[in-house]
Amino acid sequence: MAQVKLTSVAEAMTLVGDGDVVAIQNMATQAAPMGLVRELIRQGRRDLGAVCLVGGIPIDWLAAAGCLNRLIGAAVSMEQFGLCQRYRKAVEAQQIRVEELSETALNARLGAGARNLPFLPTRGLIGTDLIAINDNLVMLDDPFGGLPVVACRALVPDVALIHCHRADRYGNVQYEPTALWPDLGIMPKAATRVIVSAEEIVHTDVLRRNPDRTVLPGFMVDAVVEIPWGAHPTSFNPNYGYDTGMHLAWTKAARDDDATAVFLERYVTGPANQVEYLDRVGGASRMAALARWEITA
Amino acid sequence: MSVSPTAAAAPSAGAADWRSSPPANDYTVDELMIVALSECFVDGDQACNGMASFIPVTAFQLALRTHAPDLVWLAGAVGLDPQPDRVPASTLEAPLWRNSVMYVEQYGDFWNFALNGRWLQKFCVGAAQLDKFGNGNNSVIGAEYHKPRVRLPGTAGLGDMGSIGKQLYYWNPNHNPRAIVDRVDFVSCAGWLGGGDERRALGLAGGPELVITNLCVMDFEPTSRHMRLKSLHPGISIEQVQAATGFEVLVPDGAIGLTRVPTEHEVHLIRHVIDPDGMRLREFGK
Repeated sequence: MAQVKLTSVAEAMTLVGDGDVVAIQNMATQAAPMGLVRELIRQGRRDLGAVCLVGGIPIDWLAAAGCLNRLIGAAVSMEQFGLCQRYRKAVEAQQIRVEELSETALNARLGAGARNLPFLPTRGLIGTDLIAINDNLVMLDDPFGGLPVVACRALVPDVALIHCHRADRYGNVQYEPTALWPDLGIMPKAATRVIVSAEEIVHTDVLRRNPDRTVLPGFMVDAVVEIPWGAHPTSFNPNYGYDTGMHLAWTKAARDDDATAVFLERYVTGPANQVEYLDRVGGASRMAALARWEITA
Repeated sequence: MSVSPTAAAAPSAGAADWRSSPPANDYTVDELMIVALSECFVDGDQACNGMASFIPVTAFQLALRTHAPDLVWLAGAVGLDPQPDRVPASTLEAPLWRNSVMYVEQYGDFWNFALNGRWLQKFCVGAAQLDKFGNGNNSVIGAEYHKPRVRLPGTAGLGDMGSIGKQLYYWNPNHNPRAIVDRVDFVSCAGWLGGGDERRALGLAGGPELVITNLCVMDFEPTSRHMRLKSLHPGISIEQVQAATGFEVLVPDGAIGLTRVPTEHEVHLIRHVIDPDGMRLREFGK
């Protein structure tokens, strides 16, 4: 019989230690496990390394709260809401060190980690300045006589944080039809531990109706938590859109140290649980509008 | 994809309009850039877009509704042959890939399509800095990578697309000497590198083809691979282009052509059918 993985968010996040490398699902304004990220900040983790494909507001909040000292990823941007200014300032102040990878190089590092290989190659990045500055990338002759490739050293994050549409209490993870980024395709498969938040926890029989939508098996998952609207203020297609007003409020607050502190207290460290958080960000009527993908300021 | 729903939805009379429609009198520069970029994408091509790419996504949809009904578009590199009801506020969110035929999974599918070499042969690149040999920089401004004066968003897919044989089409709605520079501070998208045969010597196929800005269209001289003026937008002088460029602009012998003016039909499609909310103007800071 499978192990029960269902727990509280506070308990789940004790699986993350200071100094850990934490892979965070997120594509600009999409699909970040925000409930889990807020709890990381509340618990005061320090010296974390973030791994992201294209990190958005979770990276900026973690940077603003002083949780990060390194980042491995392809980009950090909130797309239409601009650069992550707190992250940017921390990098410019040399408080966060960046290992910048192309998408295929990040996928190769994680893919090697998932398969217990020392490295996987890519043909991306050749000719750029990103190879020479990175000890985890080495030009390698093709042993079969073809063109050289870039060997990308295996990356095994300590933890991967994932948000999903539904899961059962054994940690079997299901997704509705939507964009599937490498965050889901490879990150959790490479990580030592996997923490999942789900819009809803369902009986296993619900998963059995659509086994083709199950994307991670429970044996791969260490903890699963129910967090409705758990990706807010990022989007979680098809359930709800990104919160424009919240992103704009953050970009405004992020310009100023005091306003940043007030924002983080009000929305990140202050609320004791998801119900209080949702109340502070506009409650049921706001969530209903986001569920209709009304992109309102 | 010989009969795409998008093309089928366009009335046949509309398809004829784009050939016979007269030049518009009231077009704006965003529309001129979109038309110039759309001409680069033809039947048989596959196109995909990334973040904040309003001009490319409008150009792809214009091509689909005019000269390239069999163009295949992967919206956000996710949604195959989508039917967005208008250009939305984000080019990397689900409203753009509404009604897709397929959601392309990224780790396996998308990068297999892109790396294979048979598909997605052209890619549109927006770069904070672009140099005379078509190298792009979205990484850092400043001399030391780990002590940047400005941390830019990062290379994302550009660090791949520049090195895997793609033809690169740069667009920049704000042609200025800090953006179009002699040498990028950091190469995060491989162009013609140091010029000449340097790119080919590394075994890299493809490379920069065109640069479409708010002032002109530029290509790359085939031997030196130096950026070269191809056509001026109507009303723009060589001197204006030179003043906005961080290196000496290479001007070909003979008369410089004018960038083709959008037709009334193209302007109608852009303004009223494809992008009625004017999202493309966000690229111009509006």
